[in-house]
Amino acid sequence: MIDEHPVEDLAAYTLGSLEGTERVRVEEHAVACAACAARLREYQGVVGALPLGLAPVSPPSEAWESIRAAARARRARRRRWAGPVSLPNWLRVARWPAVAAALAVLLIWNVTLQRELVRRAPGPGPEVEALSRRPGRIVILTGSGKPGASARIFVAVDGGGHLAVSGLTPLPRGRTYQLWFGRTGAPGVTGATFGVDAYRRAWVKVAVPASLDDVRTIVITEEPASGSPTPTGMHLLEALPWR
Amino acid sequence: MRLGDETALEALYARYGGLVFTLALRIVGDPELAREVLQDTFLRSWDGRETYDPRRGRVPWWLMGIARNRAVDLLRSRPHQARLREQERLPSGAHAGEPAHPGTADAVVLRRAVTDALERLSGAQREAIELAYYGGLTQAEIARHLGQPLGTIKSRTREAMERLRSLLEPRIGRTGKIGTTP
Repeated sequence: MIDEHPVEDLAAYTLGSLEGTERVRVEEHAVACAACAARLREYQGVVGALPLGLAPVSPPSEAWESIRAAARARRARRRRWAGPVSLPNWLRVARWPAVAAALAVLLIWNVTLQRELVRRAPGPGPEVEALSRRPGRIVILTGSGKPGASARIFVAVDGGGHLAVSGLTPLPRGRTYQLWFGRTGAPGVTGATFGVDAYRRAWVKVAVPASLDDVRTIVITEEPASGSPTPTGMHLLEALPWR
Repeated sequence: MRLGDETALEALYARYGGLVFTLALRIVGDPELAREVLQDTFLRSWDGRETYDPRRGRVPWWLMGIARNRAVDLLRSRPHQARLREQERLPSGAHAGEPAHPGTADAVVLRRAVTDALERLSGAQREAIELAYYGGLTQAEIARHLGQPLGTIKSRTREAMERLRSLLEPRIGRTGKIGTTP
């Protein structure tokens, strides 16, 4: 369906005297309306003739020369951009060995990276992502007895927890790190025992006490490999107070 | 010219250069700026020769359109009131500059026809056409400038254009061919 003919705007359109929305409306209408398109062509003929009603003035005599010079410069510039790139001789000779060397480096790097990924333990990425979607809290433990080390405990409201540790030294056989939840007026409970990898990192699941309300301290100590019923080692990492 | 033939550009300039310069001078009112418009117009036509679409208008319309838009851009870069004052200072067709050669007989006849047609418009109609085309004003701006309703200005512009069309049709036909350079 064709909109109402923009009769009042056709003349103004050809004179370049319409504002944006009106101009667009005329253009869109003319695409579908042969009568208005024909009228626009007639008006364009009139508008094209209007300058003939002016007293003619010759342009400066040097105007053509400067136009020609500018046109030549543009053409030369286009040819430079469009033409084949001219390589220096040394680069022309070396380009294929250089490409082959680059491919070889890329291949070696790719293989090395793949081996490194296989060698490393699976990261906690998906679990962290899953935890991040669950409501809960994060507890930060700092290295009181082990400066430079730190840990995070992610506690979900449904009771699940995870511990991420970095900066602890790998322990000799027979020793383990142990996480403790200290409570007021009651013995501490252990949350996990764990070791760290060669990169001094650990990611372990934690047994979080059913009620965190009476937990006053959270610490990590070094204990015998079987774990201790109560903390015996010095506090390597702790959150105190943790609320 | 589509192939980048410089002689085609030269022929185009020879045919329409004077008309473009005259139009530019009428709009911007300054010979240096008019020369800038002239050069821009032909360089843009040179750059755009590959995208020129004959179905959308003949070469002279295309050129005049480029020139007019470039000139109005320059004009609009000045404060609005200064532009209006300048328009008032410059009566139609009166410019300092070297008068052009009269051109071919056809051009002389066509020029005479356009001048007569413009003279046969009412003063208000001619003013509406000139403020729109040479002044670079939109219909709304013209209405504000003249203190008239927008609808009145649009009707006046349409009536003026219809009158010009009927008067010039025997000369320019429906092809829009506008003859040779001044």
